[in-house]
Amino acid sequence: MVGLLLAASVHAASAQESARDIVDRVDRLLRGNSSRGTMRMDIVTVHWSRSMEMRIWSLGTKYALIRVTAPQKDAGTATLKAGTDIWNYLPRVDRTIKLPPSLMSASWMGSHFTNDDLVKESRMIDDYDITIGFDGERDGVEVWEFVLVPKPEAAVVWGKVVEQVRKRDLMPLWANYYDDRGELARTLRFEDFRTMGGRLVPAKMVVLPADKPGESTTITYADLEFDVPLDPSFFSLRRLQRDAGSD
Amino acid sequence: MAERTWWRLGWRNLGRNRRRSVITAVALAVGYFSVVVLVGWWDGVVVEMINNGTGILTGQLQLHDAEYLPDRSVYRTLGGDAGVDVPALLARVTADPAVAAAAPRVYGGGLVSSGAATAAAAFLGVDPDLEPHVSRIMSTLTDGRVPARGAKELLIGSEMARILGVKPGEQVVVVAPAVDGSMGNDLFIVSGIFATGMADLDRTFALVPIDALQALMVLDSGRVHEIAAAVPNPWNAPQAAARLDSVLAGTTPPLAVESWTSLRPELVEYAQLSESFNWVLLVIIFGMAIFGVANTMLMSTFERRREFALLLALGSLPNGIVRSVLYEAIALGAIGLLAGAVVTLPVLVWWHHAPPDLSRFVGDFTMAGALVRPVLRVEYPWSMMVEAAVALFVTAALAAVYPAIRASRVAPADTLSGR
Repeated sequence: MVGLLLAASVHAASAQESARDIVDRVDRLLRGNSSRGTMRMDIVTVHWSRSMEMRIWSLGTKYALIRVTAPQKDAGTATLKAGTDIWNYLPRVDRTIKLPPSLMSASWMGSHFTNDDLVKESRMIDDYDITIGFDGERDGVEVWEFVLVPKPEAAVVWGKVVEQVRKRDLMPLWANYYDDRGELARTLRFEDFRTMGGRLVPAKMVVLPADKPGESTTITYADLEFDVPLDPSFFSLRRLQRDAGSD
Repeated sequence: MAERTWWRLGWRNLGRNRRRSVITAVALAVGYFSVVVLVGWWDGVVVEMINNGTGILTGQLQLHDAEYLPDRSVYRTLGGDAGVDVPALLARVTADPAVAAAAPRVYGGGLVSSGAATAAAAFLGVDPDLEPHVSRIMSTLTDGRVPARGAKELLIGSEMARILGVKPGEQVVVVAPAVDGSMGNDLFIVSGIFATGMADLDRTFALVPIDALQALMVLDSGRVHEIAAAVPNPWNAPQAAARLDSVLAGTTPPLAVESWTSLRPELVEYAQLSESFNWVLLVIIFGMAIFGVANTMLMSTFERRREFALLLALGSLPNGIVRSVLYEAIALGAIGLLAGAVVTLPVLVWWHHAPPDLSRFVGDFTMAGALVRPVLRVEYPWSMMVEAAVALFVTAALAAVYPAIRASRVAPADTLSGR
C-alpha cells in the first residue's frame, strides 16, 4: 500500500512485452526511491465511519513512516515500518509498541488494510507465476488482465490475484485478491489518475472487503513528492515519537 | 422333585468343595469390584473435566445477543447498541431455580505491551464482585491481587506475564479497538497474575474491571457481550437454558441462552464416549469371568456325574438336573455379589471422600480442552452398580448352561457301571 506512492516513470508498453515484464512495471510503478506526501483515509464500516488525515514518508520498500494529523483525538498517532517490523506510537500514553507477529494480519488503524499490507516488500514477479487471462477491450478501453498464482514456495497470503492494467499508460485499474479456496477476499480499485510530483499515479485507492458488503477503505492522496532526499536514519523510533518538524 | 429341593440341592453342592466355591465367588467379586470402581473413577474424571471445562471460565450457562456467536463481533452487545439494564437482567437470570449466580462480561481483542515486549490479548471485562461466583479464573491467582472495580488494572495469565516480563505493580500499555472505530489505548497496572494451567488462557487472557474495559472500548455501562451463569449441577444447565430462553423470549434484538452442553459440545461427546466405554469394560471383565466360572462348574459337575446318573436312573427328569446346576451357579453369583458389594462400597465411600492423589507421580493433564488433576476421586456409579450386579448373575448363569446340559445328558447305565 505504501508502495503505491512510490511511482516510477512509465513508458508506453510495447505489445511485445511479456506479461511478467508488464506486471513488474506496474509493480514498480507503485514503488520507488523515496516519497513524501499527505493523504486522507476514509473508513466506512456498517457500525461507524471515520476519516483521518495523515502525513507519509517512505524510502524504498523498506522504510515508511505514517503520522496521523487529524482528527484531533488521533493526531500524533504514528506507524513506523522498518523492514518487516512495525512500531506504533500512541501519543495519549506516550508509548511506542512493537507489533507482535501474531497481529500482522490484523487491521491497520481500524482500516481494511492489514499490517501485513504495510510490510510486504517482495516483488510480485518473485512470488507469483503470471499469465495473461484477458487481452483486449473492456468498456472501450484496451486492457490486459493478468492472473497471478503464487509460486509453491512463496510466502504470500493470497491464493490468486487478478489484476487489470490499462494498456494506454500502464495504469492499474483494479486487482482482485482471492484466498486459498479461490474465493474473492477483497477488491482493490484504482481511480483518479493524476500527475503528482511529476508522475502519473492513481490518486485514489479503494479497498472493498468481499466478506463485508458495504464496507470500504479509501485512500486519497492530496499531494505527493518523489525522490525526496531521505536517509534510512530518518526512520527512527525517535522520529516516530516526535510530533512536529519531521520533514 | 419340588422347585425348593432343586434350589437346596444347588446351594448345598456349593459346600462340597468349599475352597473351589470360595475362589470362584472371589473371582466374581473381583470382577464386580473392578467394573464398579473403574467406572466410578472414570466418572470422577469426567465430572472433574466438566467442572473444570465449564467452571474455570465458561460458566454453565451463557446469554448473548443471538448473533454474537460464533464471530464474537464487539458490536453485538446484549440489547444491541442501546444495551440493557444489566442489574435487572442479572436478576432475571438468577431467579431461575437452577442458577446460583450470574455475572456480566465484556470481550475485546487487542494488545498489551510492556515496552520491551508486546503480546496479543483477549480482554475479558469482569465484575470483580460477581465473577468469582460464576467462574474460578480469578481464584487461580498466583501473585498480586485481583483488579479493583473501576481501576485501570488488569490480571494477566502467567504465560503472558512471562512473555511481557512484567510483575504485579508494573505498568503496561493496553490497546483495544473501540466500537467507534478509534484505537482505545491507555496505561494500566498489572494487579496480579493468574495460572489456570490451560495454556491458551494463561497466554492470551487479560481480566480487566468491566467498567475500565467499557471506557477503553467506548461502550456504555449497559453494553455487555455476555452474561455467564453458574449452575451447580452441570447436568441441570440445559433445562435451565430452555427455561430462561422462554422467559427472555420476545426481547429485541433477540437473545440466545446456551448451556455448556452446546457451548462446549466436546465435553458432552467425551462424557458420552466414556459412558459407552463403561459398557465395553463391563463386557470384557465379565466376559473373562464367564470362562473361569464355566471351568469350575464343568469340573464340579464332572466329579458328580455318578450322582447325576443315579438321579436320572431313579427317574429324575434331565430338566431338574439342569436346574440344580443353574441354581448352584446363581447361588455362587449371590455369594460373589455379596462379597463384591461388601468390599466395593466402603472403597467407593473412601475414594469419594479421600481420593488417591497421584500428583506426585503425574502432572495435571487436559482432556477435551479441560484441565484434569491426577486425583482419582470416584463418583458413585449408581446405575453401573446395578448393571454390574445384573451382569454378574448373567455371567454366572451363562457359564453354567453348558455344564448343566452336559450333566443332564450323562448316560446312567454306563456311568454307574464305571464305563
